[in-house]
Amino acid sequence: MISAQHIPVSALLAQSECIIRSLGSNDKTSQRLAQMGILPGTHLLIIRVAPLGGTIEVNDGQGQSFALRQQEVAAMACEPVAMPLVSELVVKGETYMIRDLCGGKTFQQRMAVVGLQKGGLIQIREAGVKPIQIHLVDTDRQVSLGKGEAKKIIVEVINHESNS
Amino acid sequence: MNPTAEPVTIALASIPNSGKTTLFNCLTGSSQSTGNWPGVSVEKKSGIFPLGEYIVTLIDLPGAYALSPVTEEEQVVRDYILNSPPDIILNVLDAGNLQRGLGLTLQMAASALPMVVAVNMMDETRRRGITLDLKALAQHLGVPVIEISAKTGEGLPDLKEALYEVIKHPEKTRIPHISCPPLLEKAFFQITEAIGKSSIDTRLDHTFLAMRMLEAENQNQWTSNEKVAALTKKWQRHLKQSLHTSFPVVCAGCRFNAARGLAMEVLGEQPIIEDKLSRRLDHIFLHRFFGLPIFIMLMFLLFQGVYGLGAPLQEVLSVAFDRAGSWLSSQIMVLSLSAGLQSFLLDGIWQGIAVVTSFLPIIALFFFFMSLIEDSGYMARVAFLMDRLMHRLGLDGKAFISILLGYGCNVPAVMGTRILTSNYSRILTMLLIPFTLCTARLQIFVFLTAIFFTSTIAPWIILSLYGCSFVAVILTGFVLKLFRIGGAPEPFIMEIPPYRFPTLRSVGLRSWYEMKDFLFRAAPLIMAGVLLVWLLSHMPTNVPPASAATWAGQLGQILAPVFQPLGIGWQETVALIFGFIAKEIVVGSLAVIYGGTDLAGLMGSHITQMQSISFMIFCLLYTPCVATIAAIWSESRSLRITLISLVSGLTIAWLTSFIFYQSGLLFGFH
Repeated sequence: MISAQHIPVSALLAQSECIIRSLGSNDKTSQRLAQMGILPGTHLLIIRVAPLGGTIEVNDGQGQSFALRQQEVAAMACEPVAMPLVSELVVKGETYMIRDLCGGKTFQQRMAVVGLQKGGLIQIREAGVKPIQIHLVDTDRQVSLGKGEAKKIIVEVINHESNS
Repeated sequence: MNPTAEPVTIALASIPNSGKTTLFNCLTGSSQSTGNWPGVSVEKKSGIFPLGEYIVTLIDLPGAYALSPVTEEEQVVRDYILNSPPDIILNVLDAGNLQRGLGLTLQMAASALPMVVAVNMMDETRRRGITLDLKALAQHLGVPVIEISAKTGEGLPDLKEALYEVIKHPEKTRIPHISCPPLLEKAFFQITEAIGKSSIDTRLDHTFLAMRMLEAENQNQWTSNEKVAALTKKWQRHLKQSLHTSFPVVCAGCRFNAARGLAMEVLGEQPIIEDKLSRRLDHIFLHRFFGLPIFIMLMFLLFQGVYGLGAPLQEVLSVAFDRAGSWLSSQIMVLSLSAGLQSFLLDGIWQGIAVVTSFLPIIALFFFFMSLIEDSGYMARVAFLMDRLMHRLGLDGKAFISILLGYGCNVPAVMGTRILTSNYSRILTMLLIPFTLCTARLQIFVFLTAIFFTSTIAPWIILSLYGCSFVAVILTGFVLKLFRIGGAPEPFIMEIPPYRFPTLRSVGLRSWYEMKDFLFRAAPLIMAGVLLVWLLSHMPTNVPPASAATWAGQLGQILAPVFQPLGIGWQETVALIFGFIAKEIVVGSLAVIYGGTDLAGLMGSHITQMQSISFMIFCLLYTPCVATIAAIWSESRSLRITLISLVSGLTIAWLTSFIFYQSGLLFGFH
C-alpha cells in the first residue's frame, strides 16, 4: 500500500494529485494553510509548475486555485493519488488505473491503437529501462513508450487486491 | 447633515480578493480618508456615508483569513475587533469561494457582535449558471445575508436597508455551534468563567475572548486580571503538551468542518465549476515557454505606459511652472519685496510646489496601470511567475514590479509597495528601490558621460552603471535579509483569483486617491526638504547664492575631507547636497557653482575621467531624493526604516566610490 509520505520536490509534477495527511511542522505555514481551509484530508491537484520552477499552482477542489512553494508541499505528509507515469512516485509492480491521456487527438488515437485508454489498468514491472515498458493488466500485454508519451499519461493509485 | 445623527461604526471584514474594497468605494464614494494602522505599514481606509438618520463610519479592515494572526494584516484586524469592537461587522463573502470565506465568517460570528453578511460577485456566479441557497445560510448563521455585486451596484439598496435595520434594532449574533475536542471545550469553559468573574467590560462574547487569549502570547493587552492571565498561561502549556498540532490549526479544522457543511448546503447538488475563461487565459499567460516572454512584453508596455506618457506631461508641467515663475517675478507685488524674500518665494516655495507637482502625472499613471494589473487578476500571476527569482531575496514575486518601476521613478515605486502581501516584503522592497537607476539620475549620467567620454565609450559607461545598480539591489537585498530588517518573511501561500474585467470607476478612483494621498502625506516633507536646501544655498544673504561662501558652500568645504578619497571636490559635494532635492537639478547646480557659461569645458579641465565616474557612482547609490525619502517615511511610518534607508544609501555610495576610485588610482588610471 502506498501511504502518506513527504513527497520530494522533484515529484511535484503538473497533474499530480495527493491527499494531505498532515500539514507539516512549520507553525506559520501550517496555520496559514489551515486558515485557508486547506486541512488534512484535502485533495491537492497540481495544475502547473511555474516556468522558473520552485512554485506550483494547486487546486483544492474549491474552484479557486492558489500558489505555493514546492518546499512547502514537500514539508507536508501527503498520500499520492495520481501522477504522470514518469513520476518517481510510480512504484514498480503496483497496479495503476489510467486517469487521463493529456494530449491531442493523434496522441489519443496512437495510444488507443496500442491498447492504452482511460480506465485501463497498467503496471510497470521493470524500473529504469528505456523505452519505458508498460504491462497492460487487462490484456496481459507489454507496450513500450517514449518518455514524452509517458509524461502525458496520468495514472491513479488503486487499491488492488494483490497488494493487501 | 442631520445634527441629531448618531455616529455608527461599521467594520468591513473579509478574506483577501472578495471585492471588499470595491464595496467600500461604492458605499463611501468620495468621502474616504487613508492612513496607516498604528505602528505598521498596513494601510487604513475609512469613509463616511449617511444611512437614514445615522452617520455611518465605515472602516475597511485589511484582508484576513482568520482572527488568529499569521500576517501583520491579520494582527491589525484582530486587535481592532478586540480593542475597539465596531457597532456592526459587515462581512463580505465571494460567492465563488464560499467555503474559504465562511471560515472567517464563523469566527467573526463567534464575537457576538451584530453582523450582516454580503455575498458578493453574484453576477459572476449567475453567469456560470449557479444559484445559491442564501436563505439556508441566513438561517444557519442567524444574521441577514444579502446578495450583491459591488461591481455593478446590484443589491446595494438591499444591503443598506439590512444595515439600517440592524443599526435600529441591534441584536447579538447567535454564536455558531462548532464542535471542538473536549479538552479545548474545557479550556474555553474555564477561561470564560474566569473572564466572567473578572471585571472585564466588553461587548464581545467571553468565550470568543477566551479563544483569542489562548492564541496570544501576551494576554495583558486585553486584561489586567492576573487570574485570567495565569489560567490562560496554564492552559496554553497544557494544550501544547496534549495537542498534536498547534491550537489555531486545531480550531481552524473544527471551523472548516462546519464551513464545509454550510457551503455544501448553500450550493446544493451543483458541482463547483471552475472559471473556464481563467483556465484558458492561464494556459497562455502562465505557459511554460510563452508565459515569461508575455510577462516581459507586458512589463515593457507598463513601463512605457507610465513613463512614456508621464514624461511629456511632466515636461509640460515644468514649462508651465517656469513660465508662471517668470511671470510672478515680473509682478509689482513681488518686485516690491526685498531680494531675499523674492528668492525665498520663487526659488524656495515656488520651486517646492513645482517639485511636488511634477510627481503627480506619474503617480496618477502609475496607479492607473497598477490597478489595471491588480484588478484584472494578472498581479497574482506575476507573483507566481517571478516568485522563484524574488524568493531568493525573501521577497514575493510582486516586488519585481515595484523594483522594475523604480527604474523610471523611485517615488511611485515606493508608494506602490503597499500592494505587496507582507510587511517584510514591503519594508525590504522600499529599502531596495532607492538603488534603482531612475530617469532623473540617467540625465546626470548622460550629461557627464558626454563631457568626459567619447561617444563610443559613453553608452558602455551608462550600461555599466545600470549593471552596478542591479548588483547593488541584489547585494543589499541579501544583506537586509540576513539582518532581518523587515522582520521574518511570511509563508508564501497565495490565492490566484479568476481574471476579471477592471472597471474604469475603481481604477480611476484609485489613481485619484493616491494623488490626494501623496499631496497630504509626502508633499509636506518634500516642501521642507526643498526649503532646507534653499536656506543652505542662500544664507548668508550678502553672498551670491550657491557660492563657496554660502552655508552650502561651507558645508561642501567642511565635508571635503570625507569626499576627497573619492576624488570628489567641494564643488561636486555641493551639487550632491542639491541632488538631495531632486537629481534633475544636479547639473544645473553644477553650472551655478562653477559659475561659468561653458560648464562642459570648466568641468572637463577640473575633473578627470576617474573622478567623474566616481561621482556618478555616488550619485547612483546615495539617497535618490527628498521625495523618495518622504515616500518611504509615509509608507513605512517608521523613523527607523527611513533612517536605515538614508544611512545605508550614503554608506554604500561612499564605500563603492571609494573602492572604485582608490583601486583605479592603484592601477595607474587618473
